[in-house]
Amino acid sequence: MPVDKSQIIEKESVTVEGIELSANWNRMFEQRVIFDYDTDGLDKVTDLAGAESMGWCYQCGQCIPVCPVDQVGEYGPQKIFRKLQLGLDLFTDDDLWKCTTCMNCLRVCPKEVDMIKIMPAVREEAVMEGNVPDELQEVFENTFEYGNPMGESQRKRADWVKDAGVEVPIMKEIKRPVDLLWFVECYPAYHGRGKDATRALARIFKLLGTDYGILGAEEKCSCDSQRLAGETGLFEEFAEHNIGLFNKYKVKKVLVTDPHALNAFRKEYPKHGGKFETIHYTTYLAPLMEKLTFTKKLDYKVTFHDPCYLGRHNGEFDAPRNCLTAIPGIELIEMGRCREQSFCCGGGGGGMWLDGFMADHVSERLSENRVREAVATGADVLAICCPYEVSRFEDAVKSTGNEGKLLVKDIVELIEEAL
Amino acid sequence: MANQNILIIGGGVAGIEAAKGIADLGYKAILVEKRDRLGGNPDEQQYAALTPDLRDTQEALDEMMAPMLNNPNVDIRYNTLVTGASGSAGNFKVKAISAGKEVEMEAGAVIVATGFTHFDPGRETQKYGYYEHDDVLTLTDAEKLLKAHKFVRPSNGEVPKRICFIQCVGSRDRQIGNEYCSKVCCGISSKQAIEVRQQVPGCKVFIFYIDMRMYGYWENEIYWPAQEKYKVNYVKGMATEIVKRGDKLLVKGEDTTMRRPMEVEMDMVILAVGMEPSEGTKLMAEYFGLKQNKYNFIETTGGPLDTVSTNVPGVFAAGACTGPADLEDSVSAAGLAAMKALASVRKSQPVLA
Repeated sequence: MPVDKSQIIEKESVTVEGIELSANWNRMFEQRVIFDYDTDGLDKVTDLAGAESMGWCYQCGQCIPVCPVDQVGEYGPQKIFRKLQLGLDLFTDDDLWKCTTCMNCLRVCPKEVDMIKIMPAVREEAVMEGNVPDELQEVFENTFEYGNPMGESQRKRADWVKDAGVEVPIMKEIKRPVDLLWFVECYPAYHGRGKDATRALARIFKLLGTDYGILGAEEKCSCDSQRLAGETGLFEEFAEHNIGLFNKYKVKKVLVTDPHALNAFRKEYPKHGGKFETIHYTTYLAPLMEKLTFTKKLDYKVTFHDPCYLGRHNGEFDAPRNCLTAIPGIELIEMGRCREQSFCCGGGGGGMWLDGFMADHVSERLSENRVREAVATGADVLAICCPYEVSRFEDAVKSTGNEGKLLVKDIVELIEEAL
Repeated sequence: MANQNILIIGGGVAGIEAAKGIADLGYKAILVEKRDRLGGNPDEQQYAALTPDLRDTQEALDEMMAPMLNNPNVDIRYNTLVTGASGSAGNFKVKAISAGKEVEMEAGAVIVATGFTHFDPGRETQKYGYYEHDDVLTLTDAEKLLKAHKFVRPSNGEVPKRICFIQCVGSRDRQIGNEYCSKVCCGISSKQAIEVRQQVPGCKVFIFYIDMRMYGYWENEIYWPAQEKYKVNYVKGMATEIVKRGDKLLVKGEDTTMRRPMEVEMDMVILAVGMEPSEGTKLMAEYFGLKQNKYNFIETTGGPLDTVSTNVPGVFAAGACTGPADLEDSVSAAGLAAMKALASVRKSQPVLA
């Protein structure tokens, strides 16, 4: 029988019944024949509340070409379904953690196989069993202990305001209701580059005369990505905490920096008693752009990355573009995969905290794949409006050797630059 | 003046529907049936439930027949086998043996509704060992087990833990000579898969297929519930052969989406056998001089826009005698045949006042 080389696995060492085999014995062959369809693993998934639709796949395969992870590896709902029919135990398999819940598969799925519900449901079970990649477990623990995934001090959550250059009203101090509660969220509050955008937004609010306040050190992570990564308990606890604050400060309208918080507030917090409206900062700024007085023309070709949780998940595609095109001098060049078809940066659904784990499974990071696409448009600037992206894309610009060719800037940074 | 009686040959769903239609329009229908019961294959082969609505077959057929059984306009001739025909449009003479006696019936038009027969998977070109292995069944065999609520392995009477269906047996096959799709088998397999899961919840059910062909509402009424609610496993790829291993059946084939061979043990295998023209259909074609297609089904002449007219004026064909047809097709064609048959005998007459 001819040898199919792709089926050969070279193991570094092989031990059979306690005896270490040397030399060529480490050559193994993957079993080619299917001797059993052990569908118990599939039934275990589809018996789970929320994960039923995993069993609905009729193998059209439309999800695969739009699955970002399949672009850099082997993945996608159609493939997971087949593996489940062939005996995969998703609850303990690495495949459980590769999905970024970017929703591109659900967008094209005729059967509505919903990974956005399947993944958290199955991951919740894995979390309860302790089957979680170490780096993710650390993030869960940090969030639990410090209120943010990075493990930064809760007390320092509003330290960024010191260097904002404008006064930033903190709810606890101003003791009055505001038009807009700004939910800053973790990365914008703590991350070096994230804070640049946060401060810029505070200064723009000042120019616009926005009546707002922040929760400061009282704010805790919205926890949407932890929820999608399976930490439902943590999510619920934090949701109750944040809703409690919103109620205490009589909040009617929340402005978020982070599309993941937008998603949690719009879709999940109402289930826990949250009664307030939420908008993304680009949605707020877009109609107010004409009130800003620009003094500079930016000579940039800009391409824009639609965040999964702003665009596909929550339907906002135009506001960020309207903000960008209102800036004098900017030429907006779209990437091929834009708007509904936008390509995930890899940060969603826990992916933000699984780069080490993913490195063993993919040929390149999703953020690197995306940066290559951005560079190919000829743009000088990759504009973003999700706090996960600045760090992911700046790293990817370096790792793909595009330093100096492409700048990564938050939309508010670009607005401020032109003022 | 033309004889205004319509003779219908075959008492399956198409024949019943045609007879009902003619009687309802106030004309006389002679319904000839070779058995001592009406209902055709669904009755004779004891289908448990109809596709796609899973309604009890007997109950549904009884309801369909009820308005016709005591209708003076319908003359049902049971145990009557047509043996020859002469005459032409407006004046047919049809010979038959009825309860051992030769009889002749006259009619202005004839509707042939002699249906199909199930493909015999024991043919020499077949590789599934239907006559060798007790636990290899056909869809019709399985219907009987499901109807009796005794879905067990024929070899040992045990409740099966894993079964599979193999699609397209005797259909879509140049070597066998049946190049056509039999149209109903995907739906019936899925319907039976649902029934198996209802009757034997612990039994895992697999369907090996080339393409699932679930037309129209069958998609959402049978295929989707089978997969989504009843957790039937559909695997794209055909089983090529069945080998006995111990008291199990080893089903060998290619899993085409995994691109890997499969050799899986099953307790029972159900062959989704297709349709072929019945003996009666072939004989009626001969007696009336009806054109047949290369598969020996009666050829209708109007393409997709006339599914019942034949090359012989005054003779119409309805249901599975013209090719693979589901129940919906058969009753629809029967209504059309009734209308066209009546029109053909009434054509020259003025409209009734």
